[in-house]
Amino acid sequence: MIVRKLTTIVDEIATEGGRPVEPAARVAVVAVVIDNPWHGQGFVEDLAPGIAATASDLGALLAPRVVEALGAPIEAYGKAAIVGLDGEVEHGSALIHTLQFGDHFRNAASATTLLPAVEKRAAAGTVFDIPLKHITDATIRSHHQSVEVRVPDAPHAGEILVALAGAAQGRPQQRLAPLSTEQ
Amino acid sequence: MRLLTAPAGAVDLTSASTLRGYEPIAAAIGLRGIRTVVEELPGAPAAPATRRAAAIAIIRNPWAGTGTDHDLQPETERIAPVLAKLLSDRLLHALGGADAVQAFGKAAVVGVDGELEHAGALIHTPYFGNLVREALGGTSILCFADARSEAGESHRIPLWHKTAAATRDFYQSLDVHLADAPHRGEIAVIAGAATGPRPHARIGDRATDRAVTSDILKGITL
Repeated sequence: MIVRKLTTIVDEIATEGGRPVEPAARVAVVAVVIDNPWHGQGFVEDLAPGIAATASDLGALLAPRVVEALGAPIEAYGKAAIVGLDGEVEHGSALIHTLQFGDHFRNAASATTLLPAVEKRAAAGTVFDIPLKHITDATIRSHHQSVEVRVPDAPHAGEILVALAGAAQGRPQQRLAPLSTEQ
Repeated sequence: MRLLTAPAGAVDLTSASTLRGYEPIAAAIGLRGIRTVVEELPGAPAAPATRRAAAIAIIRNPWAGTGTDHDLQPETERIAPVLAKLLSDRLLHALGGADAVQAFGKAAVVGVDGELEHAGALIHTPYFGNLVREALGGTSILCFADARSEAGESHRIPLWHKTAAATRDFYQSLDVHLADAPHRGEIAVIAGAATGPRPHARIGDRATDRAVTSDILKGITL
């Protein structure tokens, strides 16, 4: 795995809807930009060897960094893979839609649910939103949220950007009725 | 923590961290939020990564609705030092303290209902710049950018060396994306810093340059 750069973002929201948020809401994102393991190889039918060589290392790199950056227990989480223009969306999906990748974050966050994800192919500097859901019950509506990210010069055409996001709480000023009230 | 129990108007921030428990400060200065972005560029094997960081505070424009004859000084003196403290604390936390910081810069982006002068008021006075410079252990003037913008744009934050501004290797800039800021009645105030020069800097320096004037145009090879 060849890492070009890592970007860590911490959002703190102190006011929403004109009212204080106490304590300030925290969301952390860590994104890594790596060479696309399948770049320049044409259509690769079997992605498994590349996944085995990369996905677990990616999860091990990103998960503890999100935990540290957030600095609080994770209540909601999500992930992203943005593939440079020479690659397939399938390449990004290959790296993040595997337990080898996600279990690092699930274990670090004491989580049990699948990670919601965004996958797309885009030019460097694209803006993308990472969806987050509750770490043990994806139906908990208060924790449905997303965080906007842009890494200025990534991914290059032969790269993939992979990110993990964690939130210490649900949405600031969340006040929607829970799903159970509609069932 | 102490900040939460101190009487209004009597908070001493000189030794307090504002990384947590700063909600009373947020209320006092109309702070909506802070985004801190840290970029790590791995260096040669075994060499430490260069880290570059920007801390961005979004506040309500304290001069919204005022005219161009309005005195900006009172709110500048009240708000700018607090912003300097909030942002410096985050840069120091992200980069590993003042000793690790080698380059710095600043910026302000005012929402479209405000004046460019409002952005300048929060960064172009000693009430902001002196405090950031002191916190990051510098002596140079802070290089800067200012702008008026809608929300959702990206802005470049220039950096140069904190004690030797003319050191060319440290001329660099950070690209900062303001996802939903500034709203029309807000101002984004930004401080940036880096632990090293540009990657692979190799364009010489004043000490190595030969004297260059427009005479050089006389001998251009085409």
